[in-house]
Amino acid sequence: MRARLRALLAKGQASWNVMLVSLLVLEFVIFGATNPKFLRPELLFTSLNDSLPVFMISLFVTFVMVTGGIDIQVASLVGLTSITIGVGWQDFSLPIWGAVAAATVLAMACGALSGFLIAYCRVQAMVVTLGGSFLYSGIALLISTLSSTESYQGIGGFPDEFKFIASYRLAGVVPLQFLIYALLLAIAFILLHKTTYGRRVFLSAVNQSAAECSGINTRLVIMSTYVLSALSAALAATVLTAYLGTAKSDLGADLTMNIITVVVLGGTLSTGGRGSIVGTMLASFVMALLRFGLPLCFRISTQHLNIPIGILLVAVIVARSVSAKGLGLTSRLTKLITRRGGADPRGGDSQERGGQRHTREASS
Amino acid sequence: MGTLKKLLKARSLSSAVFLAALLLAVGAVNPSFLSPSNVSACFNTSVVYTLVAVGMAFTLLVGEIDVSVGANLGLVAAVVGTMLRDGQPLASACLVGILIGVVIGCINAWGVAVMGAPSLIFTLGANGVLRGIVYLYTNGAWVENLPKGFKDFSSVTAVGSLTVYFCAVFVLVLAIHLILTRTRHGRYFAAVGDNAQAATLVGLPTRRIKVLAYVLCGVLSALGGIIFCSRIGFVTPMSGNGYEMKAVAACVLGGISLLGGVGSVIGSAIGAVIMASISYLLVFMGFSSNYDNAITGVILIVIVVVDALLQHRTSKRNRRARLDARVSMGGDIR
Repeated sequence: MRARLRALLAKGQASWNVMLVSLLVLEFVIFGATNPKFLRPELLFTSLNDSLPVFMISLFVTFVMVTGGIDIQVASLVGLTSITIGVGWQDFSLPIWGAVAAATVLAMACGALSGFLIAYCRVQAMVVTLGGSFLYSGIALLISTLSSTESYQGIGGFPDEFKFIASYRLAGVVPLQFLIYALLLAIAFILLHKTTYGRRVFLSAVNQSAAECSGINTRLVIMSTYVLSALSAALAATVLTAYLGTAKSDLGADLTMNIITVVVLGGTLSTGGRGSIVGTMLASFVMALLRFGLPLCFRISTQHLNIPIGILLVAVIVARSVSAKGLGLTSRLTKLITRRGGADPRGGDSQERGGQRHTREASS
Repeated sequence: MGTLKKLLKARSLSSAVFLAALLLAVGAVNPSFLSPSNVSACFNTSVVYTLVAVGMAFTLLVGEIDVSVGANLGLVAAVVGTMLRDGQPLASACLVGILIGVVIGCINAWGVAVMGAPSLIFTLGANGVLRGIVYLYTNGAWVENLPKGFKDFSSVTAVGSLTVYFCAVFVLVLAIHLILTRTRHGRYFAAVGDNAQAATLVGLPTRRIKVLAYVLCGVLSALGGIIFCSRIGFVTPMSGNGYEMKAVAACVLGGISLLGGVGSVIGSAIGAVIMASISYLLVFMGFSSNYDNAITGVILIVIVVVDALLQHRTSKRNRRARLDARVSMGGDIR
């Protein structure tokens, strides 16, 4: 059993996705059997609406983590975008879509600033985005003081054309915001897995100097991933603001942990060079159903949800690192044997990964 | 090695200079700030942050990170607060609190050092679990009505207007600093963080040192939790939330590198004083507390960027010097 699990974990993303899908199926079976309400489509979509910001942002944080970075400022950008939309619309009397555009540009500028400092000044991503999370949430608070409304109240009363994002349902079931997510999912998938840009993102992490030597502007690529994640945060904030009907400066402040959890659970290595949009998508569904199903079927209070989810994260990360350790050792051994035998050391999938590990160790 | 040592000294010195400049600048804007009681208030409020930041410094020094310190502090504060409220003696409450810190440290150490999980992700998960346990333990209620003597002890002064807590923590940090820099075993921490493989090759017990770093981090956060109880006087289920990020920021301000091996606990303590007193200083500067986060962020980003640029220049210069030396040596041989 243990060996089989290890083999499953080691085989890479494809079998990891299979594992996530079986987790999803398991959730549907268990929750559905315990409480049939769980399977009602309208209820299911409503529950997923609550998790949509995590869904959207985690897609593009995957890009950042594939480059070996991390982005803990996206949550503060959600608040910044939201309050900018509110203040721009209410107090500067911009048209609502003008306010949305202005807020999006502001968020992207913030992402670009952090990305620039990380890529061009070579400061650790964790430190810059930590500073960014203080700075941007601080700016959001300052923007909220420009408003005539008290900041804790939140700005409401948006026009119907804006609330349309949250209220419209295709065929009466599928919410429009869900379709927006599907579109983002398609864009992220194609961008990371089917375009030259995506390949550059991967190569910039695996071996930055090799990428640089083959004519890739790795700094620009790395910086661009932070702009992308900021853009996704802005979109998510727009949808969330329309959904909740209020713009607040501290909106989404507690999203960081959920986003990182989803991306890691989806199979993206926190050291970079490995990751998949499909994995992130599956993991976000696993998490969202857990958040919806546990309170509904087992009456676990939402305050205590952190315990099972935290345990899941810890268990996954330990299992993966144990299997990776085994893999590293075996691949190193096979490499040694094949080299002695004169065979091509870069054969199978597992060896390729071992090779990547080595180059990364050498370059760091 | 000589230059590296000088650089380290300069780094924790420069954060001290920065703190002094900050205090003087506030004094220049508002002269009434420069009274002993106001200045020492800055130091007194920093006690909890300092303990957490020094704990964090241990894990950063060995090249890992522990973002569960906030929930650790919250859990210890909740347990100790409840025990004291229910009339248990102080000594047993503190003992239980520190034991909790040790256990949490051991769990984190098991995941990171023994199982080899990425420390940020593992401790992030631990943070979630611990925060959930705090809610479970307190049922989401506040812990209030702590004994008056325990609360009042936080304002007892020892030297001038500095509280007993600050003086004790000051001595503790100084002792840790001396152990880390002057003893052989203390220097293992930086050695492991600088290059774990090299440390293993020269025979250092790398894994044991990482375990020790996490346990010490857990204990220091637990101490922070106990003092938090005493200083604040009540505990909410969200107590300590966000302290992990503030502690990382304090360490970075104090010149500790997240890559491991570089920095001193003195630096992290100074960083903690800066972090803790910014909101207090802003009041004297005439700003509203709304500027808190923005200014913290600006200070943090500016300091790390300047630091990175300087370091990049130094390493470039060193590399050029090495290359030059090699070229001239090659000429000699020819």
